[in-house]
Amino acid sequence: MSSTKETFSQISPSEFFYRNRDLAGFSNPTRSLYTSVREFVENALDACDQKGILPDIHLSIKAVEKEQPDPKQYILTVKDNGPGIESKHVPLAFGTVLYGSKFGLKQARGMFGLGATMAILYGQITTNKPVTVKSNSDGKMQDEFVMLLDIQKNKPIILKHTTKESSKIGLSVSIVLEGDYSKAGTKVRDYVSQTSLITPYASITFEDPAGEKFHYPRIVKEMPPPPTIIRPHPHGIDVETIRRMIVDTHYQIPTVDNKMITKVRSELGLQKKNLNPKGILDRAEKRWSNLSRPVRTVIAMISFLNLDFDGLSKIRIDDLDIANKKLTYWNFGESQSHLVELDPESPYYKQLVNTVQGDTLHSFLTKRFQRVGPTTADKFAEFAKFKPEKRIGGMTNEELVKLSDALQKFEEFLSPDPSCLAPLGEEPLSKGIMKFFNPEFAAVIQRSASAYSGFPFVVEMGITYGGDIPPKGIQVYRFANRIPLLYDEGSDVVLKVVNELDWTRYKVKGETPLVIVSHICSTRIPYKTVGKENVADRPELERELKNALQYLARKLAVHMSRQGMADMAKKRANLYSKYVPLIAQFSTELSGKKKEPNYTQLIKKGSEIEDQQI
Amino acid sequence: MKTSKSKATKTAELRKEKVLTLLQNHGLIMYNDLDQGKFPQFSIPSRSVSNIVYDKKLRQYILGNASALRSSKNMSQLRSFTQLAWLAFFANKLIREGKTSTLRDIYYSSQAFAIDFEDQPESDNIIVDLEAILTSAREEFHIFPEERSSVFGDLTIEYTVPGYEGKRMNLSDHPDGYLIGPSLSSAELVDTSAELVIAIEKGGLFTRFVEEKVHKKFKAIIVDTAGQAPRSTRYFLRRLNGELGLPVVILVDGDVYGEHIAMVIKSGSANAAHLRELTVPDAKWLGVWATDIEKYKLPTIPMTESDIKRIYELQKDPRYQEGNWKTQLEVFLKLKRKAELEAFSKYGLTNITDKYLPEKLELAKSL
Repeated sequence: MSSTKETFSQISPSEFFYRNRDLAGFSNPTRSLYTSVREFVENALDACDQKGILPDIHLSIKAVEKEQPDPKQYILTVKDNGPGIESKHVPLAFGTVLYGSKFGLKQARGMFGLGATMAILYGQITTNKPVTVKSNSDGKMQDEFVMLLDIQKNKPIILKHTTKESSKIGLSVSIVLEGDYSKAGTKVRDYVSQTSLITPYASITFEDPAGEKFHYPRIVKEMPPPPTIIRPHPHGIDVETIRRMIVDTHYQIPTVDNKMITKVRSELGLQKKNLNPKGILDRAEKRWSNLSRPVRTVIAMISFLNLDFDGLSKIRIDDLDIANKKLTYWNFGESQSHLVELDPESPYYKQLVNTVQGDTLHSFLTKRFQRVGPTTADKFAEFAKFKPEKRIGGMTNEELVKLSDALQKFEEFLSPDPSCLAPLGEEPLSKGIMKFFNPEFAAVIQRSASAYSGFPFVVEMGITYGGDIPPKGIQVYRFANRIPLLYDEGSDVVLKVVNELDWTRYKVKGETPLVIVSHICSTRIPYKTVGKENVADRPELERELKNALQYLARKLAVHMSRQGMADMAKKRANLYSKYVPLIAQFSTELSGKKKEPNYTQLIKKGSEIEDQQI
Repeated sequence: MKTSKSKATKTAELRKEKVLTLLQNHGLIMYNDLDQGKFPQFSIPSRSVSNIVYDKKLRQYILGNASALRSSKNMSQLRSFTQLAWLAFFANKLIREGKTSTLRDIYYSSQAFAIDFEDQPESDNIIVDLEAILTSAREEFHIFPEERSSVFGDLTIEYTVPGYEGKRMNLSDHPDGYLIGPSLSSAELVDTSAELVIAIEKGGLFTRFVEEKVHKKFKAIIVDTAGQAPRSTRYFLRRLNGELGLPVVILVDGDVYGEHIAMVIKSGSANAAHLRELTVPDAKWLGVWATDIEKYKLPTIPMTESDIKRIYELQKDPRYQEGNWKTQLEVFLKLKRKAELEAFSKYGLTNITDKYLPEKLELAKSL
């Protein structure tokens, strides 16, 4: 017999990320430095956005030992004027993986706030140096934490915690990590400058390892309206999501512990008095409409088990078998199991059954999803061949799959609610572009909201020409949820749409000084890869991008033809007085004459022709 | 020999005079128009596809009667009109001063005269315009292409270019061959012992032929056309044929492009339909024929799609409607395979000169 035994052990989220750091963009010193910058700057901007604070971001990268060759250790510090984090949350927020406040459904730059912890983890792995977090959330006290991450236990190790008085609210995070600025520098600078373009309401300062400061001042003073958190759209969910939603609506039979008994007493107004079961039920009936759902369930249990509070605290409900109308419970005092028949005629029977089986399909649809009203819910039930009053908690696996399929296929749901999106808006985008490129021409458009697979999205786009733009052909600046996308340009849907457009139709050819700024906002950007650098070509998205681009290209074409006409007129002016003397010179020599012909008359005629044509 | 020389010189001088007179006449017309307050204009024979026709008598493509007007009155033509006037002026200078220029050189020279050609294709086009107006090849007004092919064999020439006048040279003195450039094109063909001209498509085979002393064995002048023969080479072949009475045979790769190289030497290209005297109507295509591929069991490679497309195109050409030209195209299409001249190496390096060439030359007599 073999003596080896396979061992199965659970790993903590930190350890999982440690082992899979390549996935999150920490594959090498160059990429890691860039990703860390991104994660911290985006967290800072998100924090300000959420509280409606005009962001003031300071980013600095300093070499620990300047003289060393790359890759080497760098100190990366990002400071913001955001709301800060309450002192008690700081260790968990920065010292554990998967601790975040971003689990709702609305547009944000990052999804769960994972990236920042990853950066901290990466810094710790490569340099064994702690992270320093300074936070001031109340305008009175600044807390400074110096921490390491316990990778196996997914817990912070606080090395130092100090406080000092300070009136400046905000957060500053500083890590030491191995990076290669000589290679990452271009991307980091591009990232900062492009971020300033798509966040014109932010002021961003970047100090590079050489001590050079790049300052991008605030261009607009108004922030775009913040997004709201919303319920999911029926098209955007799958069986697993439904299952989780059902767990939420599926009320558990409450555990009757002391805390629950206190709650029942307080809702019945029986702080001290002890009543027999009958007395409790009478009291409850009078106050029924004011009772909370768990309390009602406890009352129902009292009616069937005929127990008072004392008795109730000594049992545990084991099973509620609706089909056979039986309830099984365990009595601690007697160490014995009991079976009770349930009377379906009892008014409390329904209360118990509903609790176990959760909402009806009708109320599940109207309460748990966005933009589903009673009429739509009924129509859907008919479409899916379910009774509207069917309890979703009692659905079998097959029924759940059927429900999920029907939710995807039913076409009469209203399109997703875009209020969870936060596009920049045409005016700020236009101002950003004007300031950034100082162009000869610019146009912007914000398309109305659309959706793919139940996820709403909005496309904003700008086109700009001439001015400070170098004549290098069409350049595309890609943004998604206000994040610049700098890597993997080739396979991106925006690039695809730009390349497929027949530009000659819009009077664009050759090395034109032309920039396209594309911004996609969505609760879920369909990224192709985990690196979140290129967007996949969903047909709905592609269509919106194409429409936006065509609209802008038409605007550009109008400008170009006006410009072209002006240029032509300039060129045409004095065409005859330029060329006729040359013809005279050549023909004189060809014909062997000594004196040039008198062509003054012709030049006069020529300028008349010019006048007619302009 | 004395008479041949004076005749050649006379012809060359007559041609030069003819071009110079044409240029002067055009200059005079422009001059007078300007002086009288009229907008000068050129009438240019149209080179559009619809105006290119095959002339059976001349046995080459020629331009039809359609022509286009280029007027200095038209604002959109004023620039190209001036460019044309400049080119005429510049060509006149080249001829009178005995200088030569190349297509690329013309493009650069224009920049000194405020004649703004946007790129070389634009200036090349104006050169073709002038060729069409004067019905003379650009070589006659001393503009040559960059590419050059070579010649080797017992032929004595006498230069007419300035500084070399009267200097003689035998073209078998240098084993790498002589470039067919402006000086050779304008040289007098004085004397030869050769009885035949072999035009060959490839430089490699040309060298092999020199090494194998093909010029002695077959009493031949060997010309390397370096692919599609440049005009100066075609003009040179025509002179060898016309002035010295030497028959011209052509040896090319066994594919549709080879066949067409032979055809262009024989009867010109559609691109040069506005020109005469670039053809050798009696030239014979010796091989490699499609039928040779089977007969000589040559190693082959499959044709590409563009090869096959080219066959279909040529089948529409009036010159490929009969005889061997037609037959070979059909066989190529049937084989869908092609063979290079080098394919003969399979049977030994000298196989092509020892066996194939004599057999084909014998056959050519009856063609």
